[in-house]
Amino acid sequence: MGRTLQTITDIFLQEQESFTRFRRALRRKDQLALDDLFISARQHLAAAGYAAHALPFETLLLCMLLEEHKEVMQLREQVNQLIVSRE
Amino acid sequence: MKVTGWVLDVFTLEAARGLVLWLIGEDGKRYRFEHCFPVTFYAAGSASELRTLWRFLQSQPERLTLSRTERHDLFAGMVTVLACKVESPLELPRLFARVASAFPTLTYYDADIHIALRYAAMFGVFPLAYCEIEADDKNHILSIHPLESPWEIDPLPVPLRILSLEPDADPSHSTPSHLKVSYDRVHSTLPLDAKRPLLASLESTLKTYDPDLILTSWGDTWLLPSLLTDKKLANFPLSLNREAGQDVIQHKERTYFSYGQIVYRGQQVSLRGRLHIDRHNAMLWSEYELEGVFEMARVTGLPLQDAARLSPGTGISSMQFITAMREGILVPYRKHQAETPKTALELIRADMGGMVYQPIIGLHKDVAGIDFVSMYPGIMVHFNISPETQRAKDDLTPAAGEPGLIPKTLKPLLLKRLALKSSLAKISKYDSRRQSYRARSTAEKWLLVTCFGYLGYKNARFGRIESHEAVTAYGREALLRAKEVAEDLGFEVLHMYVDGLWVQKEHLANPSDFDELLEVIREHTGIPIALDGIYKWVVFLPSKLNSRVPVPNRYFGVFQNGEIKVRGIEARRRDTPPFIVTMQIDMLKILARAPSVDDLPEYIPLASALVEKKIRDLREGQIPLEDLLITQRLSRELKSYRSPSPAARAVLQLVDAGKHISAGQSIRFLYTRGKPGVYAWGADKDFDKRRIDISGYQKLVKRASATILDALISQTNLGFFKVCQQIKPR
Repeated sequence: MGRTLQTITDIFLQEQESFTRFRRALRRKDQLALDDLFISARQHLAAAGYAAHALPFETLLLCMLLEEHKEVMQLREQVNQLIVSRE
Repeated sequence: MKVTGWVLDVFTLEAARGLVLWLIGEDGKRYRFEHCFPVTFYAAGSASELRTLWRFLQSQPERLTLSRTERHDLFAGMVTVLACKVESPLELPRLFARVASAFPTLTYYDADIHIALRYAAMFGVFPLAYCEIEADDKNHILSIHPLESPWEIDPLPVPLRILSLEPDADPSHSTPSHLKVSYDRVHSTLPLDAKRPLLASLESTLKTYDPDLILTSWGDTWLLPSLLTDKKLANFPLSLNREAGQDVIQHKERTYFSYGQIVYRGQQVSLRGRLHIDRHNAMLWSEYELEGVFEMARVTGLPLQDAARLSPGTGISSMQFITAMREGILVPYRKHQAETPKTALELIRADMGGMVYQPIIGLHKDVAGIDFVSMYPGIMVHFNISPETQRAKDDLTPAAGEPGLIPKTLKPLLLKRLALKSSLAKISKYDSRRQSYRARSTAEKWLLVTCFGYLGYKNARFGRIESHEAVTAYGREALLRAKEVAEDLGFEVLHMYVDGLWVQKEHLANPSDFDELLEVIREHTGIPIALDGIYKWVVFLPSKLNSRVPVPNRYFGVFQNGEIKVRGIEARRRDTPPFIVTMQIDMLKILARAPSVDDLPEYIPLASALVEKKIRDLREGQIPLEDLLITQRLSRELKSYRSPSPAARAVLQLVDAGKHISAGQSIRFLYTRGKPGVYAWGADKDFDKRRIDISGYQKLVKRASATILDALISQTNLGFFKVCQQIKPR
């Protein structure tokens, strides 16, 4: 159990590490945005582990997208409320 | 002659033909019996090899009976074996060693089973069992019958005579000067340097009080070995053993690696006819003490002196051996099943542990913790998971057929623990049984927990990785089903951790509000689940490195009844100085007084005031040195440190003072100013208080207080952000 294969946290850290060169070449503010994306992927490591996908980075991308979409939905809701209250 | 009483110990002896059994008679007398007890081991292989083995065995000096028979191998089914019955149990290990080296390719069974386990399997007699013995006039046992089973909730109390011996200091840190001796209502202190009077006094106590159990501190590692040396030098009698003419048995110290941790087990000294247990060399002593050791011995069948010193893993294996022998299943000498091949994808799916979620960080109210009761053992029993059973197609469907070896072994233990737990919940706070029930259920918990681990352990005789994987798969399935049920019923799931969930729903305050949830989860999973408690509030903490990264199982909270629950914070760590542990818990106790979450802001200043006071006490030298001690384990041998850790530097001081410390041993030390930065406790007699590294300790205090306060103060969503900002400790 968890002895033969890496844990999902290890995989995550490795994937993040593999983008060090990419990150280094980004502008500082973009670097911070990238870090933020990785942090949002971390919120769903348990689910990513359970998915047991052969290419884990795909799942991690989906985790990032998920958090982004939650944010979009929340903002959309707030905008709608603002519009309603103006009218 | 017929006697009733309690079995103290069972062992083989050079002088005795069979085995020796010591009994505490109900009449107050101590009895020594001998019992003729032939033992059998088996060998399997090709017909021609077995014929050669037969001829070899016939030429051996031991008294043997050979036969050819069919027996049940758990993995291979019925096999033809050569059965070799050895008249004297003492001779089996030596004979078998010769056989195994002459015929290394044969498969052997029942070859290395502890004599006490064989005895327990044959007669149902376990350590401390209340039983009836019929014997002839030479004290040879004719028949023995247990009058109770290991599964009694309230067995008759055993009238053990206990002699306690305790040096006044830890010998690995400093040289003790006195020995505290207590038994019955007698308490005395003997100087350790006057050797002859000490030996004389101990000998007279041993003779007059005649203890059944000698309970010591550092008896294995220091006291008994040094008493034995003194005894030899002074040529003085010292009847540590009851069994006449026998030497005390000594085992060497060892250090080994287990579950990513280095473990140190000191030298061991065991007695014959009496028992010796060393509080500081017993496994898990701090968790369950003597009651737990007794329970361990009763349920596993291992003699008390072994049960005290062996790991729960050996305990659970012993239980499996007893079940196997009773069921006529062979116990393989070495495991010979390999893992079945898997595809990469199958491996990715199977090689997973329990589900560990990332909690939703922050302060929450209206939260309840619910836990599956003994989840993994429960899964093995309910769903019949055992190396020989066929796993069903769907998770959470029981395997077909008769209950397997593992469920059969576990079921009575699981039921006993549930019974003890439910009695614990019912009996009053002051009931005298409380402590015993708790110790025993803890000992049982360890056995149950390790049983799961042993299924996946490569050397476990009845282990099989596929069964181990099935257990975690069922566990994940159960947890996910529980999550789905909770969400269907309108709960928010804040956190999940292997066998527990934290669920939230507004305005739920009574245990009965959760009845429906628990019932539906039970229906959907088949595993009982219980309410751990309803929290007034709970805080899930982020990582220390990044406040947005959640960390599983790091939280603190207060239940409705004011009880505090913490995991993963400083107060739970063994290397936190005691005064910081107390401070953190006291801070939580202050916060726990807040009637609700909304009142918390009023209590935060009180908690910070406590921190300020501790810092003042620290600066003024008001904190006793003992409370500043840091306890750490030496994680490797001293030589292999490249840059020595504080613990290693402390060990260096002890080594300089002539002490011997091995990897895995715990060291206590203080942080001091300048180099080397630490002071090993007990390295020399005088320690100047002014050397304490106040600012270092202050940092630790602040870190521990920040763990609690930062999380509460940053809770903007509760609307007291501003209030708290003003009172944040500097």
